Amino acid sequence: MKDMPQTKIPRAINWNRLDDDKDLEVWNRLTVNFWLPEKVPLSNDIPSWATLTDHEKELTIRVFTGLTLLDTIQNTVGAPSLMPDAVTPHEEAVLTNIAFMEAVHARSYSSIFSTLCSTKEIDEAFRWSDENPHLQAKAKAILDTYAPGNDPLKRKIASVFLESFLFYSGFYLPMYWSSRAKLTNTADLIRLIIRDEAVHGYYIGYKFQLGYEQLDEARQQELKDYAFNLMFELYGIENQYTEELYDQIGLTEDVKVFLHYNANKALQNLGFEALFPPEVSEVNPAILAALSPDSENHDFFSGSGSSYVIGKAVATEDEDWDF
Amino acid sequence: MLDSDLNTLDYHALNAMLNLYDGDGNIRFDADRMAARQYFLQHVNQNTVFFHSLDEKLGYLVEEGYYEAAVLDQYSKNFMRKIWDEAFAKKFRFPTFLGAFKYYTSYTLKTRDGQRFLERYEDRVVMTALALAQGDEDQAMAYMEEILSGRFQPATPTFLNAGKASRGELISCFLLRLEDNMESIGRGINSALQLSKRGGGVALLLTNIREHGAPIKGIENQSSGVIPVMKLLEDSFSYANQLGARQGAGAVYLNAHHPDIMRFLDTKRENADEKIRIKTLSLGVVIPDITFELAKKNADMYLFSPHDVEKVYGVPFSEISVTEKYDEMVEDKRIRKTKVNARSFFQTIAEIQFESGYPYVMFEDTVNRMNPIDGRINMSNLCSEILQVNEASKFNDDLSYDHLGTDISCNLGSLNIAKTMDGKDLGQTVGTAIRALTAVSEMSAIDSVPSVRRGNDESHAIGLGQMNLHGFLAREHIHYGSPEGVEFTSVYFAAVAFHAIRTSCDLARERGESFNGFERSDYASGTFFDKYTDRDWQPESERVTALFDGITLPTRDDWAALKADVMKYGLYNRNLQAVPPTGSISYINNSTSSIHPIVSKIEIRKEGKIGRVYYPAAFMDNDNLEYYRDAYEIGPEALIDTYAAATEHVDQGLSLTLFFPAEATTRDINKAQIYAWKKGIKTIYYVRLRQDALEGTEVQGCVSCTL
Repeated sequence: MKDMPQTKIPRAINWNRLDDDKDLEVWNRLTVNFWLPEKVPLSNDIPSWATLTDHEKELTIRVFTGLTLLDTIQNTVGAPSLMPDAVTPHEEAVLTNIAFMEAVHARSYSSIFSTLCSTKEIDEAFRWSDENPHLQAKAKAILDTYAPGNDPLKRKIASVFLESFLFYSGFYLPMYWSSRAKLTNTADLIRLIIRDEAVHGYYIGYKFQLGYEQLDEARQQELKDYAFNLMFELYGIENQYTEELYDQIGLTEDVKVFLHYNANKALQNLGFEALFPPEVSEVNPAILAALSPDSENHDFFSGSGSSYVIGKAVATEDEDWDF
Repeated sequence: MLDSDLNTLDYHALNAMLNLYDGDGNIRFDADRMAARQYFLQHVNQNTVFFHSLDEKLGYLVEEGYYEAAVLDQYSKNFMRKIWDEAFAKKFRFPTFLGAFKYYTSYTLKTRDGQRFLERYEDRVVMTALALAQGDEDQAMAYMEEILSGRFQPATPTFLNAGKASRGELISCFLLRLEDNMESIGRGINSALQLSKRGGGVALLLTNIREHGAPIKGIENQSSGVIPVMKLLEDSFSYANQLGARQGAGAVYLNAHHPDIMRFLDTKRENADEKIRIKTLSLGVVIPDITFELAKKNADMYLFSPHDVEKVYGVPFSEISVTEKYDEMVEDKRIRKTKVNARSFFQTIAEIQFESGYPYVMFEDTVNRMNPIDGRINMSNLCSEILQVNEASKFNDDLSYDHLGTDISCNLGSLNIAKTMDGKDLGQTVGTAIRALTAVSEMSAIDSVPSVRRGNDESHAIGLGQMNLHGFLAREHIHYGSPEGVEFTSVYFAAVAFHAIRTSCDLARERGESFNGFERSDYASGTFFDKYTDRDWQPESERVTALFDGITLPTRDDWAALKADVMKYGLYNRNLQAVPPTGSISYINNSTSSIHPIVSKIEIRKEGKIGRVYYPAAFMDNDNLEYYRDAYEIGPEALIDTYAAATEHVDQGLSLTLFFPAEATTRDINKAQIYAWKKGIKTIYYVRLRQDALEGTEVQGCVSCTL
């Protein structure tokens, strides 16, 4: 498509004529899931934050700056770089939504910081994220793939890995805290992010599979090799990143299992087989169960929950008022 | 996960396995039982302070200022040994992890640094029984028996605080009026702080406050309306909590025909501006019948300035029935008014409910029609089950009372329906519960809020609730919301009402005193009893008759005799029943919540103090799953039918939550509201939504994620 001459006339997007129903389905899902960090009463976590040790606080802030970096990349480079490759105008619209929500996510971490931490701690953590070699390495690996002129399907592979794999070494920590009754509102907010990223990874993976099916076997093999190579590279970096972050509180092994689980999930989104056998992908049940926002029965007085959505407004008819 | 791994996991991981199917697609109930066991082995037992004897324990706890000496001084040492021995002899065990975890995290007495446990469950039960019995040994034994058997469970403030030396109040719930002046608003905020400090939710009535843009001292466009008051209240509630035990929580109610109603609702919008966004304060809307009539005609509904209404009628807006005076007020030039389309008002409510779960709804005319007490009900409380009359206070310039009105308090406790039915003696169980709740009312005197104190002194209002309906029905292989399920609910609640009134009448006879206003009530005139003496409230189907096998149910003659007694001796309690949502206490009590259907076979419970924990429905096993259809599968109509059957026999309200899949529309919510109103439901509590994960993004093998 990149070779296509840019002589198309500008056309208005018609949502009543769909080339791919999936675009509308995902658009609807993303829009009802719209949220802003202000809805979560993060300040209720202040007492719980105070119970963390200095090291645990530092770890938590660092994990969140790492996540902020990934969301920033996806917002400013990742999702926009996928737009020129879009096959339908609706896909472009979905990607703009994805890009915007990534900005909301990046913004949310700052809400967490400003609620829980001092400016000095925040600045230190951002400096750490600028200088941490593993974090920078994974950012670079992804950004290289996003570079202009690169293969559109490779861009999608990188994007899915970011959405469905790279985030999770960071997501682990708030899920772990919440299973220990700590930072539960922060975990709510992260769960809203996870809810979004799951759809993003799924959708981009789906679009990848559409493109992939059109290719001849040789090209398919090339892409598949590329995907697994990139996964190996990222997995190597993630391992080191995980060790650096989690060794001191003794969670490294658990996080690595979680990485395997999500690596498999990311590959599954691309339509590929799992890389890690089930024995090494058995996530700690407390974390796995914590991932699902569905039907959570929260107590409204201490949190806002992560299951509310923007509803579909339909006017009542005369027959409804029959009494 | 292999079975051999079970021993290596910590209790949180074991508990979480409940939410993940095993290889054969079965729910791992064993993992949860193991979690409860591991919790005791790994945490509770290691952190419990050990005493050699009861005497040593009580001596220490009194000396160190943990237990209230006055409670124990009422009893002999011998009796105390006896009641403690009997309690421990019952060998109580928590059947679920969440029950144990919740109890030890939130209820049990701990050392002041919060690190070590000083009580086991039996200790808390006995202390509650001793405190409530106030020196009466037989009564103390009866309370201990009912509570430890699980038949009666006092509400959190009572169960948490009873017998402790530094504690909050025993009462659950407070409802305060605000009037259209700064003195009343200031007093209300002060009261909200005081009551939050002592525990318990507080609801405030905003209906009487003049709207945004209304004149002050005759100067136009001066008033800021209700939103800034809500902001002040929200901050007050987050400031005050009960020694950190419970976060302050509050609700505000506004009449649908108040001019600020749309602004009020918009505070919960997803994209509301930070200046007006209300995060933690709960909202409730009071809707009269006329609003439904106007919506039916697809007409506009007029909103009336409370300031003008009060000038014209000489009483606050909340004192008049909008339905009755609607046409008159529309025609009256002196009342300034604005209008919105009635159907779009209902649609807005549904939209906001989608986004936030709020507002609660109170059907004003239904509530007042069914109120046996003289006076007007204009608001409900934080859980929308308290429905009582109140009276405005007036203030002097120095903020003292010119006229001390009455505000509302309510202490609650709930029966476990399954255990109560197993006990076979409804009279004994209900009677003991009513006496325990009355004791809480008599032991409470909230001096910091004189209007609440006066209200409680004059009414002795209590609220006996019920829980574990779904658990009981499922255990008996009856579907929730089925004709048998609804029939059981009706018969059971009629019998509870009988015994509650019977006991309150006995109390009036014993004390030679009735609640203030009894002589103007439908109890005194006897009309309240018509529906019980005109027809039978006995089971009809074979299935339901069998459930009541061995249980004596009140007959028409029993009701007639009760009517005669009440008319002769009076009633001690102005209000008797209210069915709360029962969050925490139903986990401790191993019940399904309230009379709701379960929200999920495995419920994911999240709270500030305990984090995310998983809870299996009561009596559920891998063989009876079909009777545990959840609230989203059951749908709103069967739920409303069940509540309507219970509402008939409950003098106050019942917290009724509606459940919808996220694919529902605002129209579906509106239809359910209309249906509820038609069926005589009094209030609607939350609207809860469940969004199924997009196919392909779900967590594999998760119990709560699948339909």
